[in-house]
Amino acid sequence: MPTELPYAADAEVSLSYDELEVLRLQYEKEVEAGHVTVQTKFNYAWGLVKSPVREDQVEGVRLLQEIYRAEPARRRECLYYLALGHYKMGNYEDAKKFNGLLLEKEPTNLQAHSLQTLVDQRLARDGYIGMALAGGAAAIGAILLTGLIRRATRK
Amino acid sequence: MNTAATVSSRPKATLRGKSSSDSRALDFATLGRAPLRMSLNGRRVTSRDLQIVEATEELLDAEVPDPEGVANDVSLLRGFNATIPSAEKSRSRRRQTRNVEVGEKLGLRRLGMSARGMLMDEEEHESNHESQSVASEDDIVMVGGRGRKERGRGRRRGRESLAAGKKLGVEELKRQSEEIKRDKENLHVKRTLINNEITEITHKIEALDKIREKLEQDLLKLQEDDLELDDELEGVREQLDLELSARGAPRPPSQVPHSSRRRKGPLFLPSEHDELPPGVAFMTPITALDFSEPYGTLVTASQEDSQPRVWDLLTGEEIGRLRGHNGAVKCIQVEDNVCLTGGEDGNVRLWDLRRVDEEDDWEGVGEVGNLSVVAEGDESHEDDGELVEKPNGVKSIRNGTHGNEGDKPGPCVRVLEGHSKAVSTLYFEDDCLVTGASDKTLRQWDLSTGQCVMTMDILWAISHPTSSTPGSTLPAHLIPGAAAAAGSFAVPTPPYADGSWEMYQDFVGAVQFWGYALVSGSGDGAVRMWDMRTGQTHRTLLGHTGPVTCLQFDELHIASGSLDKSIRIWDLRTGGIFETLKYDHAVTSLQFDSRKVVAATGENGIKIYNRTSMQHSTLLTNGHTRPVEKLRYMDRYLVSGGRDAMVKIWAL
Repeated sequence: MPTELPYAADAEVSLSYDELEVLRLQYEKEVEAGHVTVQTKFNYAWGLVKSPVREDQVEGVRLLQEIYRAEPARRRECLYYLALGHYKMGNYEDAKKFNGLLLEKEPTNLQAHSLQTLVDQRLARDGYIGMALAGGAAAIGAILLTGLIRRATRK
Repeated sequence: MNTAATVSSRPKATLRGKSSSDSRALDFATLGRAPLRMSLNGRRVTSRDLQIVEATEELLDAEVPDPEGVANDVSLLRGFNATIPSAEKSRSRRRQTRNVEVGEKLGLRRLGMSARGMLMDEEEHESNHESQSVASEDDIVMVGGRGRKERGRGRRRGRESLAAGKKLGVEELKRQSEEIKRDKENLHVKRTLINNEITEITHKIEALDKIREKLEQDLLKLQEDDLELDDELEGVREQLDLELSARGAPRPPSQVPHSSRRRKGPLFLPSEHDELPPGVAFMTPITALDFSEPYGTLVTASQEDSQPRVWDLLTGEEIGRLRGHNGAVKCIQVEDNVCLTGGEDGNVRLWDLRRVDEEDDWEGVGEVGNLSVVAEGDESHEDDGELVEKPNGVKSIRNGTHGNEGDKPGPCVRVLEGHSKAVSTLYFEDDCLVTGASDKTLRQWDLSTGQCVMTMDILWAISHPTSSTPGSTLPAHLIPGAAAAAGSFAVPTPPYADGSWEMYQDFVGAVQFWGYALVSGSGDGAVRMWDMRTGQTHRTLLGHTGPVTCLQFDELHIASGSLDKSIRIWDLRTGGIFETLKYDHAVTSLQFDSRKVVAATGENGIKIYNRTSMQHSTLLTNGHTRPVEKLRYMDRYLVSGGRDAMVKIWAL
């Protein structure tokens, strides 16, 4: 049975500040009590990942990594959430790696496929920008070089 | 600019690091990302970022098993949706609508089922309703204001609608039912989650409990080690004193025992409970005793009395008696709350000392023919009623035949039958019991099943000596009266200190085993070492000239006491005599450890021999008035029983 996962668009929708506060308080209360349930941790981590603030996303991914380490039963889902988190943060390679691992386990997962397309798109886009930059740098370099050579040949 | 430069250099460094480690065709991508990073995100790279990045590698290597159990039933996302605060949203919204309605229209709206109102109006109304609920979900105070708005609109609508009461439209109702269904699912999800957590925590608690038990056992071990060390320290100190005194000017030897013994003598008897009540307790000399632990439970048996008494050493009071044997009880061993007794009837009985309390009503009846006390016991038991009126002699016989199997199970758990003559000695450890009886055999029993596992015939061993026996013919070493195979064994004991003597009839004086090594002392004066796996004697230690009455061994030595007024200490491995202690009268009981030998030697005082200083001393203060028969000690707590029918407790 394929795991139930949210589409990437869901990650772009953030919770309201109050909701996040509630989740945070719940999490911290359990930390103080000594035993943090997986659900609370995940709720808080997912809320953080959804938020637009970069630090929150980082913290969310860190919590997800803790869940990943601690609960082998939950790892498959966590792969997807980690991939999403990295995608939001811009670490496209990591996102790709996690997503790839998930697709190995569940080749029919729709959300994983859609995430993969998104990550590939972003990577391609960055690639184009990079190529454009490199091209631009090469062009500038070529112009400078010709200028120098002409100056040299003129003299 | 400087800061921006440093900031930008670090992301580039990490990016370049990554790209070089990746070594893929993503160089363009990383290059493309760099300017974006620099321009858009002027933030610092925190340690958390690096942490995440580093962890990625490790995590990817970790195994990803198939989800099972809760993880399969309730995905994280499902749980998330079930437990976030906004899950309550729809419920609170519905509650709000209901509150408003109650305030307004006497709850008719809730009951309204048919869509008599204008459907179009309803939909519009509901959409406004909806948006407002979304907007004001966080602010419940707004209900009043919203309600007022609602009411206003509702009234307007009400005027327009045909029905008397404002009803909820079909859509609204359908949506509410959907929401309720969803909320129920959420509840179910939450319940599953909580149940799962509970089981996990239960497992954790069990694991922690196990750890705690282990730690407590470790603590006990440490305490034992502590006691051992204390013992060692004292021994070493004594030796030190000896060394020092030996090096000093020659002193009369009488002073040395003073310095080393006074500490230990009966100077400080435990004040309140150093004696059990005399007279009432026993009529006849103590024949056997054993206790479970210092200040624990003591079981004593006396001659002519088939019911050993059970005492509580903390209070010094008798808890009860062990009924069941048909003759006198000759040997007792107590471990924790298990007691084994061997009697003249040839049976061995296993008792559970915790159950002796059940017999309490019987205990109220005194033995010494006190009729008033007897009447007391009357009301408690009908059975008792008949028995009580008869004289005590008959009563005890009746008790014996009634047994404990009648009304209540009683403390006797098992009866081991097999020996044909009186069981004179026994020793058990865990589930294995070895008994020696006057039928000149040793039997090994399994206590869990109650079956005799092996019978070892001493007569056979006598007539087939193993090769390790020094000397050839047997009778030369055996005392007369013991070599007669057919006849019963009876030897007159040498007189005790008070002049009394009796016929000693126990062919097997004492047994002890450890693992499968068994040592027995028998009436022919020989100490035999048996292998319980084969049932054969592999060594016979000859030296005593009288029946062996008591023995004990530890890892190094065997100590045996006999009617020939001596205690011999043998080396366990070689079988050679290590030491011989001579006394004035027959030795009836002994116990030793690495530092001392405590013996009952037919005198009123208890003899203590200090093995380090090789000095003898006697425990006499407040002691017995007739010779001591049996003794047993644990750490510094010594219990002795004598022919004066008293049991005394000493502090060593």
